[in-house]
Amino acid sequence: MASKNGISRRDEDEVCPVCKSSRYLNPNMRFLINPECYHKMCESCVDRIFSSGPSSCPVAGCRKTLRKNRFRAQTFEDIGVEREVDIRRRVMHILNRREEEFDSKRAYDDFLEQREEMIANLVCRTDVARTEAQLQRYATENMQSIRANQAIEEEEASSFQARMTLEQEEARLRRQLAREQIENERREIQAGREDMLSRLASGSSADAAAIAREGHKVLLKKSSARRSEEDRIRQKQAALRGSELKRSGLSASADMASSSGLIKGLRKIKTPEPEKPYDPFMGYVPEKRDYYTLQQSYPSVYLDRVKNDTRVAAGGYDLREYYARTMVEAFAGLGCFVEDEVAQRSVA
Amino acid sequence: MIEDDIYRTSSQFRLWSYTRPALASLRTKTNDIASERVRAALQRARPAQQSTTPSAAGTPQPGSDGETKKPEEKQIECLTPEEELILVRYYCEKTLELGETYKPPLPTMVRATAIQYLHRFYLTNSPMTYHPKSIMACALFLATKTDNYYMSLRQFADGIPGETSTDDVISPEFLLMQGLRFTFDVRHPFRGLEGGVMELQAIAQGQAPPAPHIPNQTAQNLLQKLKSIAPPPIPSSSINDRIARAHGTTRETLKTAAQMTDAYFLYTPSQIWLSAFLLADKPLAEFYLDTKLGGPLTETIPDGDAMETDLKNPLYELRTKLFKVLTECSALLGAYTTLSSDPDQMKGLKRIAKKLYHCQNPEKINLKRDSGQPAVAGAADSGQVTSESESERLAKKRKLELEQKARSGASDMFGPELVAERTKQ
Amino acid sequence: MAASPFASRSPSVAVTSPNTLRLKASGGTASKPTPMPDQELTEQLNAEVRQKYVKDKKLGEGTYAVVYLGHLRDDPSSFVAIKKIKVNAEYKDGLTMDAIREVKYLQELSHPNVIALHDVFSSKDQNLSLVLEFLPRGDLEMLIKDGDIQYGAADIKAWMGMLARGVWFCHENFVLHRDIKPNNLLVASDGEVKLADFGLARSFADPYLNMTHQVITRWYRPPELLYGARQYSGAVDVWSMGMVFAELLLRVPFVAGNTDLDQTSKICEAFGTPTEDNWPGVTQLPNYIPTDPAHRVPLQGRDFFLRQFPTAGPVGADLLMSMCALDPRKRSTAVQVLRHNWWTMDPQPTRNEDLPRKTGTKKMGEDLSRRGGEIDDGPFKNAARQLDFGAMK
Repeated sequence: MASKNGISRRDEDEVCPVCKSSRYLNPNMRFLINPECYHKMCESCVDRIFSSGPSSCPVAGCRKTLRKNRFRAQTFEDIGVEREVDIRRRVMHILNRREEEFDSKRAYDDFLEQREEMIANLVCRTDVARTEAQLQRYATENMQSIRANQAIEEEEASSFQARMTLEQEEARLRRQLAREQIENERREIQAGREDMLSRLASGSSADAAAIAREGHKVLLKKSSARRSEEDRIRQKQAALRGSELKRSGLSASADMASSSGLIKGLRKIKTPEPEKPYDPFMGYVPEKRDYYTLQQSYPSVYLDRVKNDTRVAAGGYDLREYYARTMVEAFAGLGCFVEDEVAQRSVA
Repeated sequence: MIEDDIYRTSSQFRLWSYTRPALASLRTKTNDIASERVRAALQRARPAQQSTTPSAAGTPQPGSDGETKKPEEKQIECLTPEEELILVRYYCEKTLELGETYKPPLPTMVRATAIQYLHRFYLTNSPMTYHPKSIMACALFLATKTDNYYMSLRQFADGIPGETSTDDVISPEFLLMQGLRFTFDVRHPFRGLEGGVMELQAIAQGQAPPAPHIPNQTAQNLLQKLKSIAPPPIPSSSINDRIARAHGTTRETLKTAAQMTDAYFLYTPSQIWLSAFLLADKPLAEFYLDTKLGGPLTETIPDGDAMETDLKNPLYELRTKLFKVLTECSALLGAYTTLSSDPDQMKGLKRIAKKLYHCQNPEKINLKRDSGQPAVAGAADSGQVTSESESERLAKKRKLELEQKARSGASDMFGPELVAERTKQ
Repeated sequence: MAASPFASRSPSVAVTSPNTLRLKASGGTASKPTPMPDQELTEQLNAEVRQKYVKDKKLGEGTYAVVYLGHLRDDPSSFVAIKKIKVNAEYKDGLTMDAIREVKYLQELSHPNVIALHDVFSSKDQNLSLVLEFLPRGDLEMLIKDGDIQYGAADIKAWMGMLARGVWFCHENFVLHRDIKPNNLLVASDGEVKLADFGLARSFADPYLNMTHQVITRWYRPPELLYGARQYSGAVDVWSMGMVFAELLLRVPFVAGNTDLDQTSKICEAFGTPTEDNWPGVTQLPNYIPTDPAHRVPLQGRDFFLRQFPTAGPVGADLLMSMCALDPRKRSTAVQVLRHNWWTMDPQPTRNEDLPRKTGTKKMGEDLSRRGGEIDDGPFKNAARQLDFGAMK
């Protein structure tokens, strides 16, 4: 279809493949396509066939079911390009990982390549089923991060708009300022000159040349002071803009969701675990033992003196702590075989 | 097992547990480095040596050094790793004795810690570089500090027989701590033994709870089994008597054999006390282990659970392995005899001491703090930074100090035999 | 390889699950320095450790130590605090007891709520350097005192939970801390509270062994130590923990005596007078001082704690009461504290990342350079206490 004289044909003898009416007869005729099959037909055919609900494509041999609301005007003349752009838009809408989400530049590049390959697969109709399945799975698994990144993109787009407007506004203000400044300077020079003239005219004993030099210096000083003050403000504004950008970038990377198997090299992000009941021991099991069961008391002649000593008891000394210690030390490391474990350790 | 994980976090397991080959190769490496340095140092000190000791003993080893040297110069013969080990063991025994001289005697635990400090220190240091006699008192004093048996340095130095200044004791402290890689905690088997004995006593009184993994135990059947075990090596009047006797014998083994051998490097404290217990009363120790790990295969199969036909003791593998290790450790402990009680060994020791006299690194003799520079930095400087003549002068000075020290008998706190050997020179 | 059989506790090694060995042997694998024949093996090993770190700026200095910020040579983003212990010229008996204790116990304790000691090495001038976990967010005392910081019951529960776990872990390993107070509870960059300063720690539980009663900063010292008990238990740390709890709730120290005697009487006024009835054997303790029966305060009950600490709620007040029992045998143990149902009740403890934080400068340096058991000068000058190590046996 993409021929050298396509434009002229479109203009003159374009014919609706469905109703065969031509632009020649109907200059207001508009062609629409549906991204399901990209078969072109005129607006009135779309109205006629699909107004009462989804129906199959009227082009012979195409059995795709089409819906009216999906019909749209063709952007590119080459329907192949149109289709590729659509596919690209759709894939990139799903695989919308951002560079800052990757561990390295390399990982990001790999991701871009992978995305291009998938787009190419869909465009060239190779491995379509598998690619679609991959996309589908990725989309469901990463719904949150996809949405988050979409939101970021939108925000970026709008903030880009805003920035453009802001910059234009600033440029306008700068121009205005510059104009006023030139005007002021002009006025001051005028005034200075008048002052000088009047002083010279007053005929004082002062040296006329000195008066003239002084007047020139004052003027210079004034204008340079003003310029440095303006510079300072400008720099401050630029710095503020920079930090704002940085902040938005940070918050963007903060709310990223978990990675899927499809894309490699994503930065590890801790997903907030579902709130578990608080465990004061944080996973340790207190007093659990494998070799023995600790008792409240053990027979020992050696300890009898402590057991009956009220003063020791009043100080808080607790034989149960001694029992606990002796028992744990009796068995701690019984199953640690230095010969095996240490040998392994030095290998590792 | 949870108890095992507790032990795995200890510095003793992380830093001070070795396989036999690793231990041997580490000692060889330490010995190699020290020998090389001793030879180099003595080379530097040669002029001094010729004037003070005209005839140095030692077999000549032709041309191992690339340097040009006079034909009458002899290669210094250094200690072997085995000789070093014997020497260190002797001073470990001396440490035990030294602890006994205090009134009251220093606690067993403190002495044992000091002995382990010596063992650990001499893994990466050679007696040729630092003589054990200058380290042992320091190790014992450091052990009083780390094991909460605090006494002042003055008090400690006064307790050492013979003339020992506080400086003699404390000057190698930093060096010692560095050799210990700044780990002061030593896990001993003594407290574990107490635990095991208390539990045995509970069994003997019919008060013992079942072990966590053997729920079908009852206090009664434990007592029954205890009563039916094979008789002890030495007949005893009652079960309690038998336990007490085994307790005493084991404790003695732990105080001596366990301290002097490589047991702490090769085994864990619980393995050590159980091995010593096996030596003291094998049937009793085996009974106790069986209460923890289940008996041999046949005994633990309960009356036919249809679902578990291949039911066996789940701890069977652990038990088998453990018995092998405990037997090994028992053999190590059982083979130990004190050096000083064995004339043959003492003869060998004297030979080693004599040999050491000739291969002591002269640059490391003076460890005192008041000698200006710290020992470590000073030694390095004298070899590299200062001029050749300066280093010779220093070496000569040190050599002289060594001679004076040996003659003045400042070392007679550690047994007369060695001193006699030294002063004869 | 014989030279590096030693495991190391580099900060880069991640802490995994509890009860597993969290240390991997990594010594000497990355960049093994070439053997230096001019050094003994032991010196080589020490140099290997020392070369792992780079010292940056000084964070603070005290009489006891200088603290530097440092980082791993291989990873400039992994910060550590390097505490260089000064040689104490007045102390002639070698390395001081507090340094020995700190090194000894921290080498053994590895827990999220205990400050991690990554390495120890010596420098050429025979100074000891402790490579500690870097805890940049100050301590609990700073949070308590800072009027600009608002915190609530959920925050207190989170902090107390971390404190109680740290103490419990020490006791589980038979180590008494003996200096628990808000400014020894440091806050990591992730908000985790860590027990620090083990200069007064010691192992415990052996019978017939006397310990010193001159431990724990006065306001946090339990009555049995004030009465001179020489054989005591983990209960001493639990009392201190109770005092920290009370202080977190009130935002001022709860019983703050000017002298040891004053401390005893303030405790009696607040919680009740110890008697043979409520504390059997108390009159036999060495420094027990009988109270005039006319001034005897009855033992305070649940009502008192509820009234005094309304923000804790009834269950929280109950927990606090169990930590403040005069008789150490009636006091909760650290395990019992953690088993209390206050932890699982609403409000849930605040998550670490949401905990209030002190903004501005950190002070890990000055904190670490204090000698154990001492209180800051300045606002607490009157309370400063010198430790008499000679009296400790």
